[in-house]
Amino acid sequence: MAAIVLSAVAFLPAGCASPPAASSPPTAVVPAESAAAAPAASAAVNEVDVMFLQMGLAQIGEGEQIAALAEERAGNSEVRAVAAELREQWKTESGTMERWLLGWAEPVTADPSAGAHAGHGDLHALRPSDFGELRAVQGADFDRTAVSLLLGNLHNGMETLRMEAAGGSYPPARALATRMATTRQAQIQRLLKLAA
Amino acid sequence: MRRRFTLPLLTVAAVVGSLFVAVSPASAHGYISSPPSRQANCASGAVANCGDIIYEPQSVEAPKGSTQCNGGGSRFAVLNDNSKNWPAATVGQSVTFNWVLTARHSTATWEYFIGGTLLASFNDGGAQPGATKSHTVNMKGFTGRQTVLARWNIADTVNAFYSCVDLNIGGGGGTTPPTTPPTTSPTTPPTTSPTTPPTSGTTTWAAGTTYKVGDRVTYAGKSYQCRQAHTAINGWEPPNVPALWTAL
Repeated sequence: MAAIVLSAVAFLPAGCASPPAASSPPTAVVPAESAAAAPAASAAVNEVDVMFLQMGLAQIGEGEQIAALAEERAGNSEVRAVAAELREQWKTESGTMERWLLGWAEPVTADPSAGAHAGHGDLHALRPSDFGELRAVQGADFDRTAVSLLLGNLHNGMETLRMEAAGGSYPPARALATRMATTRQAQIQRLLKLAA
Repeated sequence: MRRRFTLPLLTVAAVVGSLFVAVSPASAHGYISSPPSRQANCASGAVANCGDIIYEPQSVEAPKGSTQCNGGGSRFAVLNDNSKNWPAATVGQSVTFNWVLTARHSTATWEYFIGGTLLASFNDGGAQPGATKSHTVNMKGFTGRQTVLARWNIADTVNAFYSCVDLNIGGGGGTTPPTTPPTTSPTTPPTTSPTTPPTSGTTTWAAGTTYKVGDRVTYAGKSYQCRQAHTAINGWEPPNVPALWTAL
């Protein structure tokens, strides 16, 4: 069982944009009405906006896997509370992010095998073995591991958010990234207090 | 569908490339969260006016060999400022340092210093860290207020990641108090199996062997018990992969 999970590491697509298997992205078919309602892809959208949305969705997908386990299994109520809050916010945020990408006829996942992330390998993504470790530990070790993995996930996400806030073009996306950065920083502070 | 990072990039490569470099730190990897390092105390809000380090405590990357808290680079000089009122965690002579990792680079060594004294060095031999990383380090008789400098030396780059941890070290032998929040669940022992004597059925760990939960092996003179079924490969030696092996 774990052998399968672990050996799958080698075949996992690399890069920040590799989507975790659990969050299967919606098929990139644009329904007629949402295409009509979606903002037109114009000069107001740049590559940073698209990268933010694609990488952000992948990072949320990874965070969701950790947070779901943490909400269910953490012994500490504050760990459970932060996890639950993140999941609730991510649900709303990722819905918006997917809608924009679909509206611009952009894939909701990026091709991780080319371009920006060559050289990163799978380094900035969580590996199946990391989730395996989290699932395997118990008690206080579970809480510590969950907090540590959530912090790592949120730090990576913060880089993406700040990239968009600084270099994005589409005003609503920049506003979303700025809001998310503020919210995430407060959650990072709560988690750091738990980690200390 | 798959053209996003290929064809369009050719037309806008220069713009996006420079934008991305300019706005993305891109070099984030890890720091010590417990006891809180200086960057952790900045990011948590325990210490104010730290600058950008609060958004990327994991980014204190600089060439190997520095003895400065910021690694000697131009960024994050605030970390070197000893006049800042850094909180010092109260610890005993044995301290467990926990890292938060945002990228799991192949690792040469993890080193811990007080002043010019090397307290401990852990050689990972190029292995990638697991989900989390912890080391228990003896303070070698240092007492009182001290600053531990930790260096995570990356195997395949010239760089290291730096974390300074301020401690108030007691003289006694006690270990660091548990680092996890003080509720419920006392540290669960590494589970079960007190019955089987450590010798029966124990073999020497070997790559290529398929292990099931409960299997026992020896490696480098120590005994381990398998906690997840797997087929071993080089790099998954029991001390390197706590997810797979519990030390006995």
